[in-house]
Amino acid sequence: MSNIEKKPVYPFEKIAVAVAFSPNIEAIIAASKRLQNIFNVSILFIHVGNHDAAQETYLKELITRFAFEQNNHEIIWETGDTVDKILEVCKARQVDLLVAGALEKESLLKYFLGSVARKLCRRAKCSILMLRDPDLLNKPVQRIVVEGSDHPKTVATIEAAIYVAKATHALAVDVIQEEDPGRLALIRSDAFTDNEADNNREKMLKHENEKLEEILSCTDCGNLKVNVERLEGKPGFMITKYAREHEADLLVLNSPDTKLNVIDRVFPHDIEFALADLPCDLLIVHSRTDD
Amino acid sequence: MNHAELINLLFCLGIMLLLGRVLGEFFRKLKMPLVVGELLAGLILGPSLLGKFYPELNQLIFTTKGNVGMALNGITTISVVMLLFVAGMEVELSIIRQQGTTAFKSSLVGLLIPLGLGFAAGYYFADWLGGKGQHDGKVFALFMGTAMAISALPVIARTLMDLDLFKTKIGMIIIAAAMFDDLIGWILFSVVLGMIHTGSDQFEFLYILGYTFLYAILMLTAGRIIINRALPWAQRNLSWPGGVLAFSFGLAFLGAALTEKIGIHAIFGAFIAGVAIGDSVHLNEKTRDIIHQFVTNIFAPLFFVSVGFKVDFIKNFDLSIVTVVLVLAIACKLLGAGLGALWGGLSFREASAVGFGMNARGAMEIVLGLLALQAGVISEPLFVALVVMAVITSVMAGPMLQYLLTGEMKVNVKLRDILPVKEGE
Repeated sequence: MSNIEKKPVYPFEKIAVAVAFSPNIEAIIAASKRLQNIFNVSILFIHVGNHDAAQETYLKELITRFAFEQNNHEIIWETGDTVDKILEVCKARQVDLLVAGALEKESLLKYFLGSVARKLCRRAKCSILMLRDPDLLNKPVQRIVVEGSDHPKTVATIEAAIYVAKATHALAVDVIQEEDPGRLALIRSDAFTDNEADNNREKMLKHENEKLEEILSCTDCGNLKVNVERLEGKPGFMITKYAREHEADLLVLNSPDTKLNVIDRVFPHDIEFALADLPCDLLIVHSRTDD
Repeated sequence: MNHAELINLLFCLGIMLLLGRVLGEFFRKLKMPLVVGELLAGLILGPSLLGKFYPELNQLIFTTKGNVGMALNGITTISVVMLLFVAGMEVELSIIRQQGTTAFKSSLVGLLIPLGLGFAAGYYFADWLGGKGQHDGKVFALFMGTAMAISALPVIARTLMDLDLFKTKIGMIIIAAAMFDDLIGWILFSVVLGMIHTGSDQFEFLYILGYTFLYAILMLTAGRIIINRALPWAQRNLSWPGGVLAFSFGLAFLGAALTEKIGIHAIFGAFIAGVAIGDSVHLNEKTRDIIHQFVTNIFAPLFFVSVGFKVDFIKNFDLSIVTVVLVLAIACKLLGAGLGALWGGLSFREASAVGFGMNARGAMEIVLGLLALQAGVISEPLFVALVVMAVITSVMAGPMLQYLLTGEMKVNVKLRDILPVKEGE
């Protein structure tokens, strides 16, 4: 097992920011500075692609304007495939959190082909924060919505969400458990009486609740308000809908178990519901030890 | 249909439902699938028993001829279309995708080996097994392959639930693998049925094959997107649950009609429509439950009881065919799904559990067999053998899974569970 595989999900000690010379660049740099202040880390700016001297100067100017000190940031210039190069740097430099800006929604074609930010989400081997339509305003994080599914990765995801919530002084964390009606329908087959089906369901839910309670009791939540909600519906879709309806500032999800490809967009993987239409900023927690 | 015939039909339906339910409940208490009781009801009311001892009464009430027979046939055809629609709704494409390589390898090898061995057995022993020769025996051989390949999702789900394994990793691997095998199995079976219609015309066969895949791909991609947009509209603007039920069944019947028109069997259209609707994020649990209850408690029993009307089980019971079919079916699935699971990284014991879990054939095998019988692909003794195999593989799944995964083997049925509780007990 390499060092990176042993590394815990948090605290974030090294943050990398994917930089492109797009209209959002200022907002991305501003967000990077906020993250640096919150987590007290050094920032690695990664740009992949050809660039000229003017662009290099412009990026340095921006970094200076947002008051980054010389010893707590670094700029890496790379050429080649954008996604591959960024992921290579993240792996080589043992980055804990990769940050990228992303549009709320992309055209159907672009969604299926995959933009850089979304490709990073599907392939990253470290946690990734997607900033939805980043702007220069310093919006406080008030509500964080986090996945509470019955999955080994959920422990690290909830812990990371609590860590972020405490660091950002968020007001509330909503832990969402989703009940897949398709799976429930399977246990409601005609082989069971109504009582048996209800008991089976209760048994399943009780087991899930106990596991979640155990996770939450082991996590130091401090004064943070933690709500647990159970939603009936397709996993991934329901939590995304909840985050949108409750105007969450950050949605925190488990990383996918396997590398996602176009089939996962045709027959959506849970995470694809959020990627298709970002309800807010999205943090995908990659618990390396569970891979 | 005249007054007397209508009374006859209604009486027939009433008895079928009641006896099917009573016997089904009895077998359910024995931890066996309800369908066993429903089949037994058909066996009692059909030519096997009532027809043997009281042939006049049997012909008078449970006739398969004339207007009553025609109406019953229509009802059972609709029943099987709806049954396949519900079976389609149980297939969750995202579960198949998300369970990863172990599930994929288990399902792929669990499909290919039974398909290959079943095909070989059907091809080389067609006469002995009672296959009818179409396309130089290839239709029968392909049917045998498909019959060996499919699994019974509800039986598997129930077994896993009983053993508290439903939400475990191994449970989800078995569920995902069974779903995948069902999906491919029904596509293959549709091709088999299409081949019967085409005779020896290769061009027409390719045309039907092309349409089968085109329909499946379109429904599972563009169709799903349209359904995902239309369902919220139906839920908002139409009364509940009537509107959504009409929308769902309407689509199922339209899909069935379309596939029947292009030469694939109607069940395929309904099955794929079920997959597309069941996968929608907007189909809530209550609606799903209503569709499920409505079909599995009313139409499915009618279909399974009617199976007994069409075949004399006692006369057509051939122990040698039953034994061969049973051994072949178990060997195919254990070998296929087991090897697939081993390849996917599971231990020998876990892989064996996956094999036994996916070995349950349940009601879907009976549907498959009956459609093949009606289409003239198989003989009655082989159909009886398939029914017996479906029942035995379903019943053995629970104890075997329990033994392999927990080290214990209990039938877990007490006499007091079956007998009615007396006052004061």
